[in-house]
Amino acid sequence: MTLRRRLARVMALFRRSRLERELDHELAAHLELAERDALARGLPPPEARREALRRFGGVEQIKEIHREQRSTLWIENLLEDARYGVASLRREPLFALVAVAVLALGIGANTAMFSLVDGVLLRPMPFPDPDRIVRVWEAPTPTTSNSTTTRTFLELKRRSRAFEALSAESLSTATVLIDGEPRRLNGRYVSWDHFAVFGIEPILGRSFRPGEDEPGAARVLILSHALWQQQFGGLASVIGRQLLLDSEPHTVIGVLPPGAFDRHRARPLEEPASFWRLNAFTEQEIAASMHWLNPVGRLKPGITTAQAHQDVMNVRAQIADLVPEWKKDWSMRVEPFERLLVGDTLRQSIYITAGAVFLVLLIACANITNLLLARGAGRQKELAVRAALGATRLRIAMQLLAESLVLGAAGGLAGVALAAALLEIGLPLVGALPFTADVTLDRRVFAFATGAALVVAIVVGMLPAIRMSTVSEVATLNDASRGSSRANDRARRLIVGVEVAVSVMLICGALLLFKSLARMQRVDIGARIDRVVTMAIDLPWARYPSGHYWAAFYPLLMERVKAIPGVESASISGDVPLEGTGGENLRLPGGDERLLVRFKRADADYFATMGIPVLSGRGFTDGDRIGSPYITVINEALARRLESRFGMKDPLGRALDLPALGFGPDQRATMTIVGIIGNERVRSDLRVPPDEIAYVPIAQAPRMRVKLSVRTLGGAAAVVPAIRGALDEIDPLLAIADIRTLEDIWRRSLSDLVEPVWMIGLFAAVAALLAGIGLYGVVANSVAQQRREIGIRMALGARSADVLSLISRHVLATIAAGLAIGLAAAAALTRVMRSLLFEVSALDPAAFATAAVAMALIGTVAALIPAARATRVDPTVALRSE
Amino acid sequence: MSIVDMSKDKAELPYGTLDLLILKTLDAMGPLHGYSIARRIEQVSGNLRLSQGTVYPALIRLEQQGWIRTKWGLSETNRKVKFYSLTAAGAKQLRVEVANWENAAALVARILEAKS
Repeated sequence: MTLRRRLARVMALFRRSRLERELDHELAAHLELAERDALARGLPPPEARREALRRFGGVEQIKEIHREQRSTLWIENLLEDARYGVASLRREPLFALVAVAVLALGIGANTAMFSLVDGVLLRPMPFPDPDRIVRVWEAPTPTTSNSTTTRTFLELKRRSRAFEALSAESLSTATVLIDGEPRRLNGRYVSWDHFAVFGIEPILGRSFRPGEDEPGAARVLILSHALWQQQFGGLASVIGRQLLLDSEPHTVIGVLPPGAFDRHRARPLEEPASFWRLNAFTEQEIAASMHWLNPVGRLKPGITTAQAHQDVMNVRAQIADLVPEWKKDWSMRVEPFERLLVGDTLRQSIYITAGAVFLVLLIACANITNLLLARGAGRQKELAVRAALGATRLRIAMQLLAESLVLGAAGGLAGVALAAALLEIGLPLVGALPFTADVTLDRRVFAFATGAALVVAIVVGMLPAIRMSTVSEVATLNDASRGSSRANDRARRLIVGVEVAVSVMLICGALLLFKSLARMQRVDIGARIDRVVTMAIDLPWARYPSGHYWAAFYPLLMERVKAIPGVESASISGDVPLEGTGGENLRLPGGDERLLVRFKRADADYFATMGIPVLSGRGFTDGDRIGSPYITVINEALARRLESRFGMKDPLGRALDLPALGFGPDQRATMTIVGIIGNERVRSDLRVPPDEIAYVPIAQAPRMRVKLSVRTLGGAAAVVPAIRGALDEIDPLLAIADIRTLEDIWRRSLSDLVEPVWMIGLFAAVAALLAGIGLYGVVANSVAQQRREIGIRMALGARSADVLSLISRHVLATIAAGLAIGLAAAAALTRVMRSLLFEVSALDPAAFATAAVAMALIGTVAALIPAARATRVDPTVALRSE
Repeated sequence: MSIVDMSKDKAELPYGTLDLLILKTLDAMGPLHGYSIARRIEQVSGNLRLSQGTVYPALIRLEQQGWIRTKWGLSETNRKVKFYSLTAAGAKQLRVEVANWENAAALVARILEAKS
């Protein structure tokens, strides 16, 4: 009673004060009228008042009764039903356990998925007015996006009207000494109003100010929350401290709030950004035509992306004189930042996985409905008694529904716990989430789980509640509770048929993805990925101020690395396979026509270390250096392109006009093609065909930031300390960063397919298992109900085969129908995942056939186990049991 | 929790009768406010004296069941009060209850006659 009172108060809370006020008004008016009548009968005023009160009865007492009447009517019933539900579930703990476990699985998986959908797709950006944040690109063609030049950015910033703030972002790395060890940190060069673009303020210190990006100004620095916590112990005294970045002093002026950019990675496997410093463009940088800045802006309120695009195009028209002739046709693009964060592939994978998870929940619900129906068959007498004792149909239906509500509540609770565990274990495995995604069990997720549990409870309980409450009590009480369950059987078979259909659909999807993954794993990346470890070494400008220094550094290092025991070969290059590389324009000497190709710097040992075959001519040698003739090696794809584009049949010995980067801006040189090598994959996206690549000797085009790759004889990790030692001999202040094996890099490039494959595969397996359990349940139940019939038939001489066919005929037909519907639905639905598939048709016959056979097997086995039990029925026992 | 006043000096109103009386009153008299309903029932119930206040819990219950509806209006003393009137469902319920009563009354009458 006290519990109910308390609950009733809570429930009526939101209407309470109004109802209470209305009652007060009503009672006051009543007493006034009663007093007036008493006065009219001639009573003196004080007497009249007393008379009115006396005839009314106790005012407070009436109010109390009124309160109870108005608010407990339905709560009382509900609580009673729930108590009844709990009690009846407690009588069958095994059923309750199975039901709660299945519901927890369904609700838990969906809750985890929802938090992913919510964090990544619904609310991907934790910034104020996120739809006003845009990226500005140069667009060489309608489908490509390019960084912009310093000059274009500066003109955009000066002339454009659409932006409240506009910042040029570019990658920056710096080596700092931490505990005496050099460590490379990743960061960004930005403009002073960069954080205004994202609408965030430092939690400590201040943001950048205009003027701090002037070339002569003192260098200032803003740190990420993570770096502040790890390296500066979260102490406020960090503000104002001097930090040496590549030996140059920077003053820390601010610390960003936690979460804001703590996971902002330039590439998936890289360390996130941990510092921000200001662009201070030199004259040289402003003059250079290098495309290296990525503008990001916040639109003024009310400005649309289209208006911003118009604005940007106007600026471009104004500065047309500054744009070289060959870039005249380029356009500009303004793209919502959000679309950049959540790529189409990720969006698609999440949608498809969410769809699969939802189907699993559907099957889980179907199974529980089935269990409830089966259970109902055994409870008809109990319900008939209740009906005979005066319970209305609605009341009985509500009681049955209350049972499933109890199941739903328990399943929901367990589901939330499961979701928490799934996210804890699963999230670190998902590599491609945007840095801003906040995937946690927050209020919205709990609201979702609650809603899901409620809907599930109602969906699951509705059919059994309606069916079982309509059973005629007289028939049931008279009969030994058979016969009337025939309709139930039909309903249950229909449900199982749907389960089979949905499962076969999921299996089809999973198989298509598995096949795609297998195809993608077989893609020739052109290099041998085993036993190769790669790492990044950045030379600081302060101590290595020109290309001559860089080019001199490489042989010093290589000489020592090659001497390390366990090193088979080693090389220095600009980039390693699958991690991208820059693009440059290629021309024929004297020609005007440009061809955009990938441009890669490599040393003499690169092709051997990576296992890239030299098909004709030669690779690089140590003799290809500063001062010797400019040469280039091209890959097969480029050789073919040169033939189709320029009619160059035999490229060996021919000359190309390429940039001679490294010794100054905008230098080009005529380079002789000395060799053709196999196609190396430079992009992580394996769906695209191999790129056309021109390789140049890194000694002729040196770079500050290089990759060291080592092919080892044994374990790759074992050589890293020795390499550190070798580096110490040359320059102990240099850091080694981004240590990873080529195999890791390769695996990462598969991950946008691996993740959905495992998820969908897992869900398909769960779905098939649940469908199998459902089939088993249906057959086992009908065997139990037909025991007497089976007994009679066997007593009359029926053989086991007859019994088996009697029992399994219907259910095998159900499986067949389910398979047919499922395959048809799969044919219609696998189309949505076409963009995830790789070299596999969405209607791949082998996948469909395998799915059908697998599901048929699972279904038949699940149905035959209980059916076989029927053939062992002992007629005498079966007949006696009635 | 009972709606019926069980004070010793008053005869008990049979369970459920109050609802029936309210419905009948509204059927016969049209929209009324709480005081008029109480007065009317007092008048017809004769020696079955009930506290006027007990109609209010009954009224909220009938309203929740959808048998009566309320509308704000002014009392004779110019106060804002609720006027209650019968709904279609209430009219139907009244017919059912009246029929039940008549059956029950006839049954009781027959039994009493047989005994005597």
